[in-house]
Parts: sequence; C-alpha cells; structure tokens
Amino acid sequence: MEKILEKKRIDDWIKALSDWEVHAPALQDGIWTYQPVSGAIRLDHPNTNQSPKGFAFPQREIFFSFEQIKGEPPKLKQVLPKTPQHAVFGVRPCDGRGVPRMDKVFNDHVEDPYYNARRKNVAYVGLACNKPPSPNCFCLSVGGSPVSTDGLDVQLTDMGDRYFVKAITEAGKALMKAADGMFSDPSAAEQKQLKQVHAEAVAHPQRKVNDPDGAPAKLKANFNSPLWEEMARACIGCGICTFLCPTCHCFDINDEVQNKAPLKGQRVRTWDNCQFPDFTMHSSGHNPRENTGARLRQRVNHKFQYFHENFGMHQCTGCGRCITGCPVGIDIVTVVNKVTEHAG
Amino acid sequence: MSEQQDYEPRIVAFLCKWCSSAGSDLAGVSRIQYPANATPITVPCTGAISPMYILSAFNKGADGVLVSGCHIGDCHYIEGNFLARRKMQLIMELIEFIGVEPNRFRMSWVSAAEGAKFATVITDFVNDLKPLGPQDKLKRAEQA
Amino acid sequence: MINLQDIRDTARDMLAKGEVRTVIGYRRGTRGMLAEPAFITDPAQADDLVWNPTCFHNLSLYLVEDRKFLAHLRQNPGAPIGIVAKGCDARSIVVLMQEHYFKREDVYIIGVSCEGTGVVDERKLAPHLNGFQASDAVFDGDDFVFTTAQGEKRLPAREVMADRCLECRIPFPKEHNLVFGEDKTGRQLAEPFAALKRFEAQEGGDRWNFWSHHFDRCIRCFACRSVCPMCYCDECVVDSITFPVTSETSAEEKANRIRWIERSATRSENITYLMTRAMHLAGRCTDCGECERACPVNVPIRLLNNKMEREAREKFGFEPGASIGGPSLVASFLDNDPGDFIR
Repeated sequence: MEKILEKKRIDDWIKALSDWEVHAPALQDGIWTYQPVSGAIRLDHPNTNQSPKGFAFPQREIFFSFEQIKGEPPKLKQVLPKTPQHAVFGVRPCDGRGVPRMDKVFNDHVEDPYYNARRKNVAYVGLACNKPPSPNCFCLSVGGSPVSTDGLDVQLTDMGDRYFVKAITEAGKALMKAADGMFSDPSAAEQKQLKQVHAEAVAHPQRKVNDPDGAPAKLKANFNSPLWEEMARACIGCGICTFLCPTCHCFDINDEVQNKAPLKGQRVRTWDNCQFPDFTMHSSGHNPRENTGARLRQRVNHKFQYFHENFGMHQCTGCGRCITGCPVGIDIVTVVNKVTEHAG
Repeated sequence: MSEQQDYEPRIVAFLCKWCSSAGSDLAGVSRIQYPANATPITVPCTGAISPMYILSAFNKGADGVLVSGCHIGDCHYIEGNFLARRKMQLIMELIEFIGVEPNRFRMSWVSAAEGAKFATVITDFVNDLKPLGPQDKLKRAEQA
Repeated sequence: MINLQDIRDTARDMLAKGEVRTVIGYRRGTRGMLAEPAFITDPAQADDLVWNPTCFHNLSLYLVEDRKFLAHLRQNPGAPIGIVAKGCDARSIVVLMQEHYFKREDVYIIGVSCEGTGVVDERKLAPHLNGFQASDAVFDGDDFVFTTAQGEKRLPAREVMADRCLECRIPFPKEHNLVFGEDKTGRQLAEPFAALKRFEAQEGGDRWNFWSHHFDRCIRCFACRSVCPMCYCDECVVDSITFPVTSETSAEEKANRIRWIERSATRSENITYLMTRAMHLAGRCTDCGECERACPVNVPIRLLNNKMEREAREKFGFEPGASIGGPSLVASFLDNDPGDFIR
C-alpha cells in the first residue's frame, strides 16, 4: 500500500490512531527520546539518544512474583506483560533493522513469552534518512540502507511538504486504514520523486567499515591479537555502548525481595552489559574476560562474527550510537577496520 | 480522628552502644512514656555510621531516620562523634537538596544518663514527622 | 599560549631516556574534532599527542587503572608513569595521593594550564555550527577556532566552554613536575558554583519535581562512576558480586542478604546510587565534570557534587585536592565544626 500524506496532516493521522498508544521522538533535557505523543509531533530528529528496543525489551521487567509463608510451599504468580498497542513514529532504518535481529534472539530455540507479548503489540513507523542523521552513521557498510524497510511496519519518506507513506506489513496497513481518508494515491511524478529522494539518500557519504564481508573470518583469526588490549586501553567499562545499542540484548535476572516475613518479592529481568567487569565474574572470583580488551572483543565479535555465524547477518545495524556516546572515543568502525586490516 | 492523626511514622534509630542506646534503656526502666515508633539499631559508635545506612533506611521505607550518640567530648572512642557530626551534616544537606523534607532526618546527643532526653527526642521527632505523612520519595516502590 | 611541540618533545625525551614508562596524554580520535586518551610508550609516537579544547578527559583515571593492573600482576611500578594533567586533573591526582593510592614518585605530572579558557561543551557548541560537524578545534587566546565543512568558525571560548571550566577557580595544575602555560589562578569567568546558584534560584521550593524527573531518567549505565578517577572501589555498592547465587542458595538466604541497591533502574534505586556516589565524592571530587559530560541522558550530576563541595567549603573550610599531606574531609574534623542541627 503506497500513499501520499500532506505533512501538516500527520498530527491528524496520529489523532485518528485512538486504538494505539503513539510515541514519537521529542527533544527533552537536551536529548531526543521517544515520548508519548501529546499534541503536534516533529519528525526532524537526528536519531534518538536511545534506540526504540525498549518497547519490546524494557530495561526492567517482572517475570513473576513470589510469596512464601514460613513452612509452606512458595506461591508463584507469572506476570505476563499486558501492553496496549503501540505505534512508534520516526524510527530510523537502522533501528528498524534492529527489530528482526532482536526477534531472532528472543525466538531462536526458545520463544521468550515476555518479549513476544510486548513485541506483537508494537508497530514501527519508520522515517527514511534523506541524509545521514549522525556523523557516525554507517548503515550502508553493514547491509543496511538509509531507506531500508527491514523491521518496519510503515515507511515514511520526507518529500518536502508531503510524506510518501508505504505500508510494509499488515500492522502497517491497519495504521493507515485507521485514517483512510487522509491519504491520497501517489501520482507518477511522486513515484519518480520518491525514487530520486531514495537514490540521493543512498548516495550521501557515510563512515565506512572497509571489509564487512570479510570481518567474521578476520575477527575470528584475530581473536588473540594484542590489538584488542591496545584498542581497549582507554575503555572505562561503562554501559553506554550497550544500553544505547538497538541490538544489544544481554540481560540479568535477579530476585528483588520486598518483604522478609512473610517473604515477598519479584523475579525481574534487567538489561546487562558485557562491558561491566562483573558481567562474566564467576562466584569463585575468576573472571574469564578479565580485561577491557577481552570485553571489547566480545562486543565487537558478537556484532560482527558470532551473530553472523548464528544468523548469517551482522548484528550491528550501523546507527553509530556507541561511537557518538563513548566518553573516551572508542569507535567500532575504527576497531573493525583495524582488526580486519591487520589480518589482510 | 482524621487519617493524618492515625498515621504512625516509622523511625529507624541508629543509637550508639555506649550512650544513646543505654539512654533508651534508662528511659525504659524509668518507665517514661514515649511513642513506640522508633526501631532501634545499636551501632558501636555514631562514627561508624555510613551515610549509606541512612539512605538505605529511607530506601526501605523509613519515614524518619534518627542518629544519636554521645555528647561531644564523651565519645568512648574519643573522636567518633566528631567524625559523625561532619558526615551527618553532609548527608542532611544532601537529602534536603534533592527536595526531601529536612525534618525526616535528625541527629541528637543523648548520654546514658539522659533517659528523659531520649524520650523527648523521640516524642518531638514523631510529632514533627506526623504532619509530613508517609515517606515515599526515597522508598522502593511496591509492585504487584 | 602552550606550544604543543613542547609537550611532544618532553614526552619523546622522557620516553627515550626511560624516565617514564608511558605517557598518558591526548591524541586525535577518529570522531571529528574529538581528542581521545593516548598511551604513548614508543618515543616515535610522541608526535601523536595533541592539546586542544576537546581534551576533556580526566586522565588520572588511568593511573588508577594502571595501579590496579600492576597489583593484579603483582608487579612493582618501576619507572614512573607520565601524565598530561589540567588543573582539575592534577587536583584529582593529589587526592589519590592523599589516599595513598600511589606515591608521588610513581607519577610524573606534565601539567598544562588552561590559562584563560578550558574545554568545550559539545552541547553548547552544537547550535553554533548550523548542524555541521567540526573536524578540528584549536585554542587561540580567549577564543576557540573550529573547522567545519563551511570553513573556520571562531567563537569566544566563554560562550561554548563547559560550565565546570567557567566556574573553575584554579585552572592551573599546582602539583606538577613540569608545567606548560601561564598560571591564571584567580581568573573569574563565572562566579564559583554559578550553575548551582542558578539552579537554586530557579527551582525555588520544588526541588523534588526537578530531581525526581532526573532520577527517573537515569539508565544506570554507570558511565559517571566509570569515568571518575575517585570511583576506584574494588567493589561498588551497586555491584552484587560478593554474594554469588547458586542453585543451593535458598530464597530465605537471598532475602536475608544485604542488597543496598537493586539492579533495576527505578527511581528509588537510582536515587540511592547517585546520592551514595555524591556522598562518597564529598571532599574528593575536584569538579573535573567528567561525570556530567559522560552522562548519555544529561542527568545534572555535577549539581550534587557541587553542593557537597560548597558545603565542605563553607562549613568546614575544606578545599579538595589542595595538598598531598592535607586531611581528607570525612576522616578529619575540627573542634568547632558546626553542630547546631544536633538536638
């Protein structure tokens, strides 16, 4: 389904989506974040500070609650998320491409009921990048594109005073049908303009991973390279790169006890981060990834080697958040290039 | 009675073993009437109280936190209460800075001989806490 | 004015003579104009060193890392480690030495004075560049000069400088082995604690609204902790690595363990974390401002640290990082410390 929507009518479209809870990027406290829409939206954001992965995989979620009276068996109550239907506007193509990657992780071998319960109620309305929204964009290097529709339900393309609106999935069609009368059919000229806008978008220069196809083998060959430690020398072991990433999915599970007698609490899942020193800490005190080099290698190899071996695609979608956000200048593009060139 | 008056604040009281804890015992054996809102936790010295204890007490739902020790000059460890005086001043300022009612934190010097003073300190604290209502700013939220 | 070549020559000579084993400084990064930490061991690489308005990092953090690493290897330090340090960084080094983290002779401080300026705040700079990215930044007197695709952009430093630098009272590394640049201690680009005072004037009675909003936003990536040279505890209160959970661990046992702060990034836990951190930094924080710069979601962490710094100064006459032999704030006292608040 391909339609045209006048830009000024986008707020009307959102108003018509009364069955959805609509979120869109908004500038608050100096950063762009997804916020519930109230009033007018502006889709002129660079890229959001954090990826939209939290809609399906929130930073904290409760698995089940437990209660035990001393001497009696514990009572468990599963807490499955009951989220309303979400429509997330303004998702950039790199973040869109993060969605199927997360879907794979949470549905390979074992289906994660918590993830899936949320995921089925989220529709992503993407916005093609007419020019790279960040100086650290490199989606073209990792099989993506600034006009990719992968993972999106609807794709918007900014064409001056109009959006070219394309439904990708059934969920996307439903969003458009909710405001049927607002859209018009694209003329041949508009179709042509779309092609041109997209061609220009792809032609914009970006940062470049030099040999993405060769990366998995070369990273594997360089597992023991001293380069890792050298490149991670400045790493401070914070969680910025993983917490902002659209595809980092590691988590920790903890029991949070609220009351001791009678025992009461919940088991919760929270985001975890492979760059924290205690991520792989054993109870014996031994830490198999004991320095920042080993931890940086884990993150980069996961993105460009392990995931590729498991699912045949790079996990990294080239959004550049980890590069922009790193307080000490660790740059995944440079890291991958250095390692691959080292082998070549 | 209104709901406000029904509300009984929970106080976590960190009492030094040598003075204030003994002072609270004296208040008890002297049969002085004072509100039963304080849960005492005896510590070796006020100087040993980490500000973390206070934050943690609030985090776990205390409506007020009291730190009480020996008078200046009377510390069993000579200078523990001098150190506490500095630390507690800082944590008090910090709590107030983020917008928590300053009356939720209190510090007092109560010697082993001051049973009556201990009762007064607790009574005054309870009276000051009652109008504030339950402390839910720093408290860990209850979940289903 | 600092001549960059002097810094490079010094580093090269010292490395060549074996007087230092590494020079920790700044080099050009791969992200536009931004500098990044550099660890120079080969004299031939000394020319990688740079000194420009994007040299934000408080490199004394890496002295801590180095110390931990040596302890892990059970090695003695050998030759000292050279470090490029600004005024605030040098004060951090002094605090670390006050706390006996390492000895004076273990470190060779190559001081750099910020003179009349300081480091740039990227958040303040962005609106001046019309959406363009700067590829280079240099000091020029009281100005910063940026290079963008549109050409050169000259801006008065005080318009785009970090708040911490504007408020800095001692932009000169008093403790040093060697220092470059003029001592402009006493310059006052903004009054001390200006940001804190602005905040206090603005928020009036409704502090809690402000702080609860920001405490909700914290994502607990711990960048503020990781970037801080003073956050060197082997085990932080937020990490629960002391108490392993095995299949044998009973629910009751778990319930009885001390868990100061849960892993969840919820308001109450974030408060406990950030407040504990502020307390632990009282009298130790030298206001390098790295925590606030590193924060990916712009939580105004510096206000908490500034508040503690001001209280320490006004109530106890305490100045962090003033001298190596000096007392530490919470392990010392004066007989006449204020005590009016005590009943």
